[in-house]
Amino acid sequence: MTLRDWVPIFALLVPGLGLILVLIGSVVYVAVAQSFGYYALLGQSAFSLEFWSDVFDRKLFSRAVRYSIYVGFWSAVLSVALAYPLAIWLRKPFPGSIGLGALLKAPLLVHGLVAAFLYINVISYNGLLNQFMQGIGIWSEPRRLQNDPNAFGVLLLQVWKNMPFALLLLTGAVQSISDDILDASRDLGAGPWARFCKIIAPLSISGMQAAMVIIFIGALADFTFQTTVGPTNRQSMAQLMVSFKSRGDWHSAAVVGVSLMTIALLGSALLAFTSRVIMRGGLR
Amino acid sequence: MFKKILAAAAALGAFIAPVHASDLSDMSWNEIVAQAKEEGNVTWYVWYLQDDFRRAISSFEDEYGIAVRIPDGDNAGNSQKMLAEKDRKTGDIDVFAWGYDSFETVELSTLFNSLNNLPKDDGRVSKLAGVDGGDHVLAFWGNQSGIAYDPAKVSSADLPQSVEDFAKFWTDHPNKFGFNYEKGGSGPSFYQNVLRNVAGVDFTNGEVSDARLSALQPGFDFFNKYAENYIITASNVDNINRVSDKELWMAPAWEDHLAGLQNRGEVRKEIKFYIPEMGMNGGGNGVAIPKNAPHPAAAMVFVNWLTSPDTQTMFNRDFGTAPMNAAADDSAALVPNEQRAFRQSWGKQPFRSKVEEAFIDNVILER
Repeated sequence: MTLRDWVPIFALLVPGLGLILVLIGSVVYVAVAQSFGYYALLGQSAFSLEFWSDVFDRKLFSRAVRYSIYVGFWSAVLSVALAYPLAIWLRKPFPGSIGLGALLKAPLLVHGLVAAFLYINVISYNGLLNQFMQGIGIWSEPRRLQNDPNAFGVLLLQVWKNMPFALLLLTGAVQSISDDILDASRDLGAGPWARFCKIIAPLSISGMQAAMVIIFIGALADFTFQTTVGPTNRQSMAQLMVSFKSRGDWHSAAVVGVSLMTIALLGSALLAFTSRVIMRGGLR
Repeated sequence: MFKKILAAAAALGAFIAPVHASDLSDMSWNEIVAQAKEEGNVTWYVWYLQDDFRRAISSFEDEYGIAVRIPDGDNAGNSQKMLAEKDRKTGDIDVFAWGYDSFETVELSTLFNSLNNLPKDDGRVSKLAGVDGGDHVLAFWGNQSGIAYDPAKVSSADLPQSVEDFAKFWTDHPNKFGFNYEKGGSGPSFYQNVLRNVAGVDFTNGEVSDARLSALQPGFDFFNKYAENYIITASNVDNINRVSDKELWMAPAWEDHLAGLQNRGEVRKEIKFYIPEMGMNGGGNGVAIPKNAPHPAAAMVFVNWLTSPDTQTMFNRDFGTAPMNAAADDSAALVPNEQRAFRQSWGKQPFRSKVEEAFIDNVILER
């Protein structure tokens, strides 16, 4: 190809590539540079590994990493695990299935912060749940349910918010499986579990992987749910990053930000690979 | 055409070019007020209670005919903006509000205009909580941290006053006391004063050393010993909400914050407030005029109004602040004057930040 051939191709690619390289690339570049001591808001900008070493030495950071991975992993797994049976159930239309599908996807329209505050109203000390449990005589006094130390509240909200997204992707993947294939497997004696393992799962694996990866990345970087209903004795990575930033420590915030991006990249690749291996019944 | 555009731009530039502070130094106060009215508006960067301040400044707007704009923004965002645009010829900030101790972290004379041109008023406060604002910063908001409590659960005679009293309260009433370690300073004020009392470390010294940080260990041990008997809350407002909801009986709070919430009917009026004898931190917020303020005369007039006895009396009445002008009336405060003797200053930086990090690592993460 000549230069003349390349010019229109390059021109056509510029809008997409420009968005990625200039907008995203510049942000990533600044974050990486800042984590190594450049772009100092105050003081001298110079190369330094001090910020990486200081942040990595802190227990706060290692705990935030473990906690964010915990939230990201379980949010992805639980959302997909709940969405799969629903997607299979809604695969063939039945009276009311469209309305039901729309209802299940309703959480996509509700902002996470709104959901978090609604959840607090339900579980707070004088909230609906405490009032109900006391009203029916199961609890004698209100219980403290807010900011639970195992982050069950955060996981509940993550699954509530992300399950419809997984359902959206999986419904499309499951509906694309031909009836003929499922009928053939049924004729050959495959039960529901065998049909899921040997037909549905392998043929919908791309949708499942996409759902897992996108939910994992979003939940890994959770800030809203964590700061509203999350445990008070640990911080998510996004929360830690904001906490450093609010103290004016942009370099440490950048270290956490770059770590978050790296974990999101590696974690989602590992999650996609592992889920593929499991759904296909092993390495092959 | 191009020449016309250039000429128009130059004319417009001349028209909107700000009058810089250096031009004010030779002006009388009346001339500054006249200049301020010509400028016509002032932008005040303050990070809290913006809606309330927008209402409160109406008397200034009526008196001077100068419009006040208060943009939304948080503390960190505002301060980063002020620092980031310090080298611009003309910035966006006319009057900048900041925690008084935060002003200590920057070079005042390089960032802010002198306030020497204000009319003489010996009642104004430029030294607060161990920080000297000199000619560049004036306090406009006095605040005091203490303990909010539910008088239906704790009588005033039984209020914990010392570290030992708090330990006894925690043991006698498990999980009825909570404090935050982030998102607000009331909890940090509480735990830092407990650390100061238990470990005997001098917080007025900002020097950081391993020996000084290690000396805090008895304080961390104290918190860990009673860890099952108190709870960690999410923020300043969470503390007050939980006392108002009767979940907690006591929690650290800011006097002005509690008074504001009570005045707006957002929490119960019955909640009371006191400063324990072991001491809790007090201080306030100040205002300064950045060197590149676009409306320096209007900013000067606004700072004069903000720190005047009348405005400080109004803040005390409406927001429950400690007045920052000696001539103001402080009769609407939540605590009697004798309790103000227990006020402590915030620990000096950078030691205080290191203590906060160490507290998270040694107490919060051990839970």
